[in-house]
Amino acid sequence: MELRPILSALRRSPTGAILVALQIALALAITVNSLYIISQRIERIGRDPGLDVANTFIVVFAPIGKSFNGEAAMREDVQILRGLPGVVAATTINAVPLSGGGSGTRYFTEPNEKGKSDQGNYFEVDEQGIAALGVKLVEGRNFDAGVVTKPARNSPGWVPEVILTRAIADELFPGQSALGKSVYDGVGHPAQVIGIVEKMHGSWPSWDKLDHVVLHPVIADESQAVYLVRARPGQRDAQMKLAEERLSAVDNGRIIRRVRSLEYIAASTYTDDRAMAVYLAVLIGLLLGIAALGIFGLAAFNVSTRTKQIGTRRAVGARRTDVVRYFLVENWLITTAGVVVGCLLALLLGYWLSTTFELPRLKLYYLVFGALGLWCVGLAAALVPARRAAGVSPAVATRTV
Amino acid sequence: MFAYDLRLALQSLKRHPGLSALMVLAVALGIAVCTVTFTIYHAMATNPIEWKNDQLYAVTIDTWGTEQAYDDQQPDMPPTLLTYRDATAMQAAGIAKHSAFMYKSGAVLSTGKAGTKPFRALLRLTGSDFFTMFDVPFEYGGGWTAAADQGPEPVVVLSHETNQKAFGGENSVGRTVRLNDNDYRVIGVLGPWSPSPKFFDLNNGAFNEAEDAYLPVRWGQVLELPVYGNTNCWKSEEVASYRDFLNSECVWLQMWVELPTAQDRDRYQAHVDNYARAQKAAGRLPRPLNDRLFNVGQWLDMNHVVQKDNRVLIGIALLFLGVCLVNVVGLLLAKFLNGAPLTGLRRALGASRTDIVRQHLTEVMLIGVAGGALGLVLAVAGLAGIRSIYFDDVNAYSRLTTIDPTVVLVTLGLALLAGIAAGLYPSWRIGRTAPSVYLKTQ
Repeated sequence: MELRPILSALRRSPTGAILVALQIALALAITVNSLYIISQRIERIGRDPGLDVANTFIVVFAPIGKSFNGEAAMREDVQILRGLPGVVAATTINAVPLSGGGSGTRYFTEPNEKGKSDQGNYFEVDEQGIAALGVKLVEGRNFDAGVVTKPARNSPGWVPEVILTRAIADELFPGQSALGKSVYDGVGHPAQVIGIVEKMHGSWPSWDKLDHVVLHPVIADESQAVYLVRARPGQRDAQMKLAEERLSAVDNGRIIRRVRSLEYIAASTYTDDRAMAVYLAVLIGLLLGIAALGIFGLAAFNVSTRTKQIGTRRAVGARRTDVVRYFLVENWLITTAGVVVGCLLALLLGYWLSTTFELPRLKLYYLVFGALGLWCVGLAAALVPARRAAGVSPAVATRTV
Repeated sequence: MFAYDLRLALQSLKRHPGLSALMVLAVALGIAVCTVTFTIYHAMATNPIEWKNDQLYAVTIDTWGTEQAYDDQQPDMPPTLLTYRDATAMQAAGIAKHSAFMYKSGAVLSTGKAGTKPFRALLRLTGSDFFTMFDVPFEYGGGWTAAADQGPEPVVVLSHETNQKAFGGENSVGRTVRLNDNDYRVIGVLGPWSPSPKFFDLNNGAFNEAEDAYLPVRWGQVLELPVYGNTNCWKSEEVASYRDFLNSECVWLQMWVELPTAQDRDRYQAHVDNYARAQKAAGRLPRPLNDRLFNVGQWLDMNHVVQKDNRVLIGIALLFLGVCLVNVVGLLLAKFLNGAPLTGLRRALGASRTDIVRQHLTEVMLIGVAGGALGLVLAVAGLAGIRSIYFDDVNAYSRLTTIDPTVVLVTLGLALLAGIAAGLYPSWRIGRTAPSVYLKTQ
């Protein structure tokens, strides 16, 4: 392969080649880092929340002051919901998982703020809480109906029993079973751990202890409470409609504000992540498109300006494949230079993103795949113009002389 | 002269329609991506009460415990919310021109009129100064008096939207609305007002709409209205009643003061310092003395109203524009050099170097303007696309994705600048060609 003529031609007019290489380099840097950000977002959105997101919905109500008889009215509503034909379970709950809103407190393994401690995101549910959330109880037992109470308004409402997720249980009682042990609140009220749930995401998807969840057997205060309902598979939407109808027909001092699927709530919580991923994906698509078109345009233009030289080469004995090879090798050299510089730029950009915005450091295999991808894009963009160059007939050379 | 340049430029562009279209498209995409990114960033970075930026201050006092920082990301910052006892103490001091502490709650609102359904209204419990301090516009009536704060008198101010919903938009001053179990007299109706970002309470969504109705803050304590915003507690203390809650170290209130001059500000700061020292002497405030006044801009910064993602996107968008420009430079260069024989002829016929450069720059400018215009159209489509990703009733993103004149101006400036930047080198390069080289081959 004769590299020398290609190199000397490039040396004589390097600007165009440099611009193409620079384009590839910048495109590579952006693409690799954007892909990495996208993959993180997809991973975040795709985490298993441990809940039956697809079949669960919530009913949000607003009590009208004192005409709402807290506990009795909520129990009545929950009974109505449980009576619906396609409903598996229903509970009152103080906050909606994955919604971004909720309550947390610190749990201790010994009274008086002693022993190990950890932040827990707690949910107040009744005896159907586990079933309504669709979480998996892997150790111990569920709450009995008798233990579920409604504390007076603004009172501490500390509970005799709790159910922990595996994550917080392991944090509080490392290397041993938490079952049967006691956890304490800051003031020193004890609660016995009666069950362990395999996994459950709590209220705040961006919290690093997202799955440190504790269930309390409590009828939540009416100022916060919503009803959480789990339908049989495929029946959610019908049950949502039915729930709204049936509850609205009963006047017990509250209005039904809205009925929402947990899927909708989870999706809107992750909207920022999804928007970022979509936006970056569109950006990458446009970027690769415009870069490929640019390379294609430049190559095509070069071919058309060099028609005469190509004709001359053909006239003195170069075959079509030689001409194609010439242009492809030229392009390969430029693309490779661009990819090499691009790798450096990508690392720099990744470093900047990780230091300035505390994003995780760029993984190297993204760089490898990105480089390969852009290489292919660069070569593919030059293929058609090179083919066209091969089509130049030797006669062109003689015609204008 | 310009007309001549323009005609030549148009001719030149028409000679290679594919290439010209490609260049316009490249500029347009670069501009569109930047416009979309800037629009959202700009909307987030807006100071909605710019004109009072240095007169309004959020009051903070570090009442937090020593075990853990209030915000792990910024451990030296005091909590963004106040305890009830500190807020009431600051309010009672009365040394600020205007001062109000506040929180968000909610109740079911009904008018008792036939045909209207009760609905849940978000409430802002606040002081009488709220409206004057934040220059809140009134459509009918006005705010309540300081005396009404003390009563508290059963008065309510409705938002423009609530008045539409409850009274069909008519002047409802003097009418009665029922919130849960109690009747309140409408004393004022706001004009359309919903600052974005919602600087006075950035909890639970910095771009949420302002509340539906406003009540004297004491009603919150009298009726024990729940806190819809954040309540954060660090101290393990027995809270068995609402009284206990009010006396606890839990923080849940926003507090703002208006301090027109630097002296006022210093005086207020000194007052807060003295107060905090006295509290420390009384055994509260375990952390080092750290009470700060934040003006609106500082407050928006401190609360990270502009999200990290949007800063990252600004960087990526600019790089994207860079790629587009490099692309255009390459294409322009190839195109201009291809036209060199013609240029040589013009030079030989007496066109000066400046003439040549100017003519080529005109062509570039044309591409820049066309690209900018197309870019703006693409940007509008892009913003609509982003809006569609968001659910409007959950996120106030529609407000963030509205193109405003500033951004349009910036975009057009950017397009022109980008065009010139891209065209400068190719035009200069072609201006340098010696006519003889090309004339020889003719």
